[in-house]
Amino acid sequence: MLWRIARKEFTELVRDGRFRWSAVFVLLLLMASVGMGWKNYREVSAQHRTAQEAMRAFWLNQGEKSPHSAAHYGLYAFKPRTPLSLVDQGVDAFTGVSVWLEAHKQNEFKFRPAQDATAVRRFGELTAAMALQLLMPLLIILLTFSSLAGEREQGVLRQLLSLGVRKRVLALGKALGVAGALGAILVPATVLGVMALALTDDTGALAGSWTRMALMGFLYLTYFAVFIVVSLAVSAQAASSRMALLILLGFWIVNGLLAPKAVTDIAKRLYPTPSAFAFATDVQKALANGVDGHNPRDKRNEALKVQTLKQYGVSRIEDLPVNFAGIALQADEEYGNEVFDRAYGTLWQTYTNQNAAYQLAGLVAPVLSVRALSMGLAGTDFEQHSHFASAAESYRRMLVKKMNDHMIDNAGKQDFAYMVNAEVWKTVPTFEYTLPDVRWVLGNQITSVLLIGVWAIAGIVALVVASNRIRTD
Amino acid sequence: MLTRIMKHEWRMLVSDRTLAGLVSVFALIVIYGLHNGTSWTRFLQEIQQAVQEEEIQRLGKLKEAVVSFEQGKADKVVPDPRSAASVGASAGTRSAFLPTTALAVLTVGQSDLYPSYFKVTTRSKDTIINHDEIENPTNLLTGRFDLAFVMIALYPLLILAISYNLLSGERENGTLALLLSQPVALRTYLLGKISLRLIVVLLLAVAFTSVGALLVGISPTNTESLWRFTLWTGMVMAYGLFWFSVVMVVNAFGMRSGANALVSIGVWLAFVVVIPSFVTIAVTTLYPVPSRVELVQAIRAASTEANAKGSRLLAKFYEDHPELVPEGAINLNDFATRSYAAQEEVERQIQPVLARYDEQLIRQQAWVDQWRFVSPAIVAQEALNVLSGTSVARYRHFLNQVDAFHREWQSFFIPKIFQRVRLTSADIEAMPRFTFVEESSGAVIGKAITSLFGLILPACLIGWIAIVRLRRYPLSE
Repeated sequence: MLWRIARKEFTELVRDGRFRWSAVFVLLLLMASVGMGWKNYREVSAQHRTAQEAMRAFWLNQGEKSPHSAAHYGLYAFKPRTPLSLVDQGVDAFTGVSVWLEAHKQNEFKFRPAQDATAVRRFGELTAAMALQLLMPLLIILLTFSSLAGEREQGVLRQLLSLGVRKRVLALGKALGVAGALGAILVPATVLGVMALALTDDTGALAGSWTRMALMGFLYLTYFAVFIVVSLAVSAQAASSRMALLILLGFWIVNGLLAPKAVTDIAKRLYPTPSAFAFATDVQKALANGVDGHNPRDKRNEALKVQTLKQYGVSRIEDLPVNFAGIALQADEEYGNEVFDRAYGTLWQTYTNQNAAYQLAGLVAPVLSVRALSMGLAGTDFEQHSHFASAAESYRRMLVKKMNDHMIDNAGKQDFAYMVNAEVWKTVPTFEYTLPDVRWVLGNQITSVLLIGVWAIAGIVALVVASNRIRTD
Repeated sequence: MLTRIMKHEWRMLVSDRTLAGLVSVFALIVIYGLHNGTSWTRFLQEIQQAVQEEEIQRLGKLKEAVVSFEQGKADKVVPDPRSAASVGASAGTRSAFLPTTALAVLTVGQSDLYPSYFKVTTRSKDTIINHDEIENPTNLLTGRFDLAFVMIALYPLLILAISYNLLSGERENGTLALLLSQPVALRTYLLGKISLRLIVVLLLAVAFTSVGALLVGISPTNTESLWRFTLWTGMVMAYGLFWFSVVMVVNAFGMRSGANALVSIGVWLAFVVVIPSFVTIAVTTLYPVPSRVELVQAIRAASTEANAKGSRLLAKFYEDHPELVPEGAINLNDFATRSYAAQEEVERQIQPVLARYDEQLIRQQAWVDQWRFVSPAIVAQEALNVLSGTSVARYRHFLNQVDAFHREWQSFFIPKIFQRVRLTSADIEAMPRFTFVEESSGAVIGKAITSLFGLILPACLIGWIAIVRLRRYPLSE
């Protein structure tokens, strides 16, 4: 019986002109957005790859210099594009694309692509994620709002139930029918997405991201399922199909439009973002006067001198078997690292707290949980940005330490006049970055995973209850 | 007849609790939006104030130090504060501020994406302009819940919600045919219903905005704020008018209420979400802005080359600028002068690269200005940004002034650095200061007026289509 109902619903939908037109429209939008995403991904990742190689070449060919001035010269790291960013660009346009890795300082990422655009971009970009998060639910509402309420209005429902069809089976069958009709859009779109991944220059793109891709597919299917069961439950209980439509459109607006923006300001109120000025001032103060404010730089330097002399059992700097300037540089660097760890740690924790507010608001608007998870799986959320930033920072620290260590061991009395060449530059390995694995991503998004689960279960329960108590007139 | 219909509708509306509910929700949303705009603007003002205070303190100390050196009172251990290189690059720097306008509280616009001040030094332009305000990228992606958002996205929904079924509802209740048996034209009847709602909603929107504006401190006696605010509310009214024309045409097509609701939300989605995203695609495809990655590479290439040339560049510099040759011998290995000679070369080389970004962005903006009329939401958003002083155009206007100020700053210090002269306390007093010159009111008003027409004309056209279409309105199912 279940299958028969599902098949009837499916056939009816597929023959409906309104469904056909809107399905074609959504499918075209999805294809266009995947196409745009694919083009963008290819261009940007090729650019970043070449730039990264060029930076390495600059580093190797910087000529003869003192190791410390090489550390000042440093390198730039460019944030790689993840393959699945062709589905969901996440926050990529709002984080800088590159960071300068230099001695003494952990820099911010610079150049946010959104700054090089017109204000129209703030309305939102056409990405597959936008179509899936915003348009598909509307389509689902369109397909389902009248499917139970409408049959009641036409008097078909009473007849149907008199045939002995169980109410629950009827509702479930309808849900399956709608799901089948959606398949007509989702299957070609998914095939296209997979093909786009396979056609990137990056040979590992498809192989490397299939777990993420499968989970993303599962995520969106669950999201659509939530909308199907919620809509059917409303349709079963609403006084009329018009009322059902109004309630569902209201929910769609709160979900996709009101809630996300409302959370921005609440999150910022709960966990205020500091200003760039306050952040920089705090870092400067901590570097100069010590983290606790009672350990100024010259005092630190004096203590280091005493300690080094004692360690080598000599009484004058000139008698040291190592280069003291290098030791002082490295000690200052390590002190700085502590300061930066603290400053960026606090800042990023603020962002994480703000993002947790978005995740939690998924309780009211499931799109927020879906958005967070989708960005996470695509590798374009803030957490993965900071993961890359940390990797770049560790590389910077390694590079600077290598230069300082070289100076300590070899500079002797020459200090900054000590020059070295490409032999030393070569000892610094190339910067390699690997994306965190899926478990790490899901670990950051536990709230969202749970809330999507809660929505799915609550939706199914609501549908069962609503269909059992369905009004026949 | 029209007034009688409107009176009757008014009684119906007042007795209907849904309208009261919708309006109170709308009022709450307006308050929330205004509140967010206000706290954001306060945040910006507080930053500017903090930066300014730091600057005053730092420059005060600098002046004291210079004076004590001039009077020979200074301790010999302290480094000489009179070096032009160190004052111009760090100790004496000034910031250029983009002040917030009185209406900034209404529209956050692009002000969360661009910095509101730049610290100007003798260093190259690219180091000056790559300063950013810190923000969680997720917040930037989501955008702010300001009054402009309320007006552009939610206010049309209110209009659609209270008028999508004006005729279809009557028909479904069976009252429409009865009504038209009276001596009243369908056109008059629909116009009466729509006009009343139009008047109520527009008055409410203006009233909410005005009361809110007064509460958040927009002064009605200040001429500048007054005309900006008048145009701002004018835009809101014209935008409302547009959506009423949309809902009128939706009503005129004779579909059932459910279909009307769906078509309305479809039109809303098209204008507020889909078309803007297509405009973005079109403009970025037509005038792609090159990736900033290229800029990073260009700077690195130019500076590597310039540094390698080192002393040769400095020698050439002195040949080009004999007036800057210091008294006594030229030292071609002096670090400060050598690095400025190299910097000049780098700035010259990356100038065309930097210009390409600006040119493309200007082209993009010009294209969007022309094509914004395809969506009333874009027309309204751009106009509200311009009127509130949070548009990209005002930011670019500011950047140009920063650029000029930066050049003024450099030409004040760099010759002194090359001549190796010591700054005097008079020099410290004479250091350039930045004053922001506001965009021309004419340009702002011009843009607002064309935007008003860009909303009112299509509204009239759509309204006319609705009236023509009404002749074929089916009176029964």
